[in-house]
Amino acid sequence: MWKKKEVIPDYITQNVSEDLIKLVDMVKIYDTGSIKVLGLKRVNLTIKRGEFVAIMGQSGSGKSTLMNILGCLDRPTMGHYFLDGIDTADLPSDDLSAIRNRKIGFVFQSFNLISRTSALKNVELPMTYAHISKKAREKRALELLERVGLGTRYEHMPNELSGGQRQRVAIARALANEPPLILADEPTGNLDSASSVEIMELFSKLHNEGATVVLVTHEEDIAAFTNRIIRFRDGSLVSDTPNIPVSKREKEESEEPEEPEEPEEPEYQSGDALC
Amino acid sequence: MLRENMSMALHAIKSNKMRSFLTMLGIIIGIGAVIAIVSVGDSMRNVFTDAYKDVGINRALILVSWEVTDFRSSDYFDRDEMERVKEVFHDKIAYIDTNSSVDTEAVNRLKKVKFDFQGVDYNYTDVQPQNIIYGRFINEADVKKAANHVVLEDKGAVQLFGTADCVGRTFRMTVNKNTQEFTVVGVYHKDLSPLAAMLLNNGQKQAGFIPDTVVSPKGNMSQVLNFYVRDGVNMKEFQPEIVKYIAKTKGRKESDIRVMSVVDQMGNVDSKLSAMSAAVGGIAAISLLVGGIGIMNIMMVSVTERTREIGIRKALGARTRDIMIQFLTESALMSACGGVIGIILGVAIVMIGGAVLKTTVIVRPSVVVMAVGFSGLVGIFFGIYPASKAAKADPIEALRYE
Ligand SMILES: Nc1ncnc2c1ncn2[C@@H]1O[C@H](COP(=O)(O)OP(=O)(O)O)[C@@H](O)[C@H]1O
Ligand SMILES: [Mg+2]
Repeated sequence: MWKKKEVIPDYITQNVSEDLIKLVDMVKIYDTGSIKVLGLKRVNLTIKRGEFVAIMGQSGSGKSTLMNILGCLDRPTMGHYFLDGIDTADLPSDDLSAIRNRKIGFVFQSFNLISRTSALKNVELPMTYAHISKKAREKRALELLERVGLGTRYEHMPNELSGGQRQRVAIARALANEPPLILADEPTGNLDSASSVEIMELFSKLHNEGATVVLVTHEEDIAAFTNRIIRFRDGSLVSDTPNIPVSKREKEESEEPEEPEEPEEPEYQSGDALC
Repeated sequence: MLRENMSMALHAIKSNKMRSFLTMLGIIIGIGAVIAIVSVGDSMRNVFTDAYKDVGINRALILVSWEVTDFRSSDYFDRDEMERVKEVFHDKIAYIDTNSSVDTEAVNRLKKVKFDFQGVDYNYTDVQPQNIIYGRFINEADVKKAANHVVLEDKGAVQLFGTADCVGRTFRMTVNKNTQEFTVVGVYHKDLSPLAAMLLNNGQKQAGFIPDTVVSPKGNMSQVLNFYVRDGVNMKEFQPEIVKYIAKTKGRKESDIRVMSVVDQMGNVDSKLSAMSAAVGGIAAISLLVGGIGIMNIMMVSVTERTREIGIRKALGARTRDIMIQFLTESALMSACGGVIGIILGVAIVMIGGAVLKTTVIVRPSVVVMAVGFSGLVGIFFGIYPASKAAKADPIEALRYE
């Protein structure tokens, strides 16, 4: 063969830290040649394993900048970003690729599925880059599609799926390598309200199963699903408050649900009727 | 991963069939041309070899060079000299004659047919077997008695007598300024591919055999001796031997004696064919270059179109080299596909040509393998730049690309 088997540094594969995300005096400056734009000002932030966090703020407040850094797509200009205890500041780009592959699952506003490629193949993709055998890949991808309620649609192309379904494929893909961190930048931004609720319920479910989810949104309704809301303004972190998720509130307000949903039933199944 | 890349590349090529095909066209034409030309060259060589075998691969002519300034009558050969050569070299020479021929008009009542009769000894069929369909070949008695007997090719026989079955029929012709009657003792048939026939074309004249002794009787002088060496005798090694002997008997320097053998002529044709192949190879190389640039161009377009895909792949953990290999595989596969189609096209052209000309065509497997390999290399070479452009893309910008 023309290629050696991958050697991923141990520090990437071993989960070491209770603090999954730790930003220390992190600054991001965009150097556009003529002017320097301050993307983020001295952010200090810690997110523990198992949290469900919403990042909020107006347009241009630095949410995407933060997500890019958290997702190891970009590096801080100053300060440090520790992901699972690893200082990502000085890592070579191939190591960052490996980190994105093993530790992070991305969900984007515009879904970002690969076109003319089946749902199954899309979900397999992160596993392909992790050099998992074809058989194991397919098996797991099918399980994941099952889990997001698309078990029967694995052969569909992205353009044959609704927005909500596409986003569920994207979530299945984000879960492929069982990453400790799920990052979602406005995951409901392109969805109608019904699909948005379904997607958020899916995130809640993942969180309940132990995943750490960080999502960006500018809608209070969406942020209401999370346990913690962090607000940004002009590149600065301005507030960081705990939140009681809507699902729990409903339970506490006892047996008078406004919406006709069964909390016990896996929520995504009801979504299938919409497709 | 290799298989994964292959299937991704196939997927990309298939999802844009028309564009892929147009992109491959340069390679298809280049490789098709190479295969066609090389095969035509090989087949021509084969035809020439066959044609020369027909003339006689063991055959040579020996003479005192016409370039000598003081040509004398003793430089000619007479029958006695020929017999002596035959005797001296009987273990090396299988057949010898004075290379005589009669170029004349055969007359059967009102029918006149131009013939070129070759004067032969009775054992000519030992070195050039003939396919006798009626009667017999010239025999020892014919030669000894210088009998007015001939063997005709079937085509000529039909022209002269209206039938190939004409053994025993007679006609008149002028040999050595003396019009006489001749009797047909045999008819032969010759199978030649149209191409070989073209190469050996003898104009409108029909062919036949006549005893050497009729054309060139005792005392007649001949400028050359025509001989065939025995099987297993190396013509190149034998040449100096006979040159030495003839030089001595003629009182000439060895450098004044010329030997013209078919083997030498074949070498000539071979080098001409090789030169032709080289020239065409150059043209094909240019067309492959153009094809390669076409692939590079379309890969650049493809990389730009798929910027977002590249961004997604990188976000999901693809490293620089994963993207690089993905696009290189694609361009190499596209080019190799073009190569395969080109080979099919080239072989088809050669096969059709061969069928039309009723000629056996030769397609060397090594050439086919080289063509596919080379087209793959062209794809890789011209894919390097677009692939590295893709691989270097910044994931954030790529993800934002519309
Ligand atoms: N690539 C870039 N080059 C220059 N400035 C940028 C770039 N990306 C973002 N910015 C700037 O950084 C600030 C924060 O942007 P962003 O993180 O995209 O905000 P949000 O996602 O909250 O809308 C904005 O002022 C924006 O103009
Ligand atoms: Mg944004």
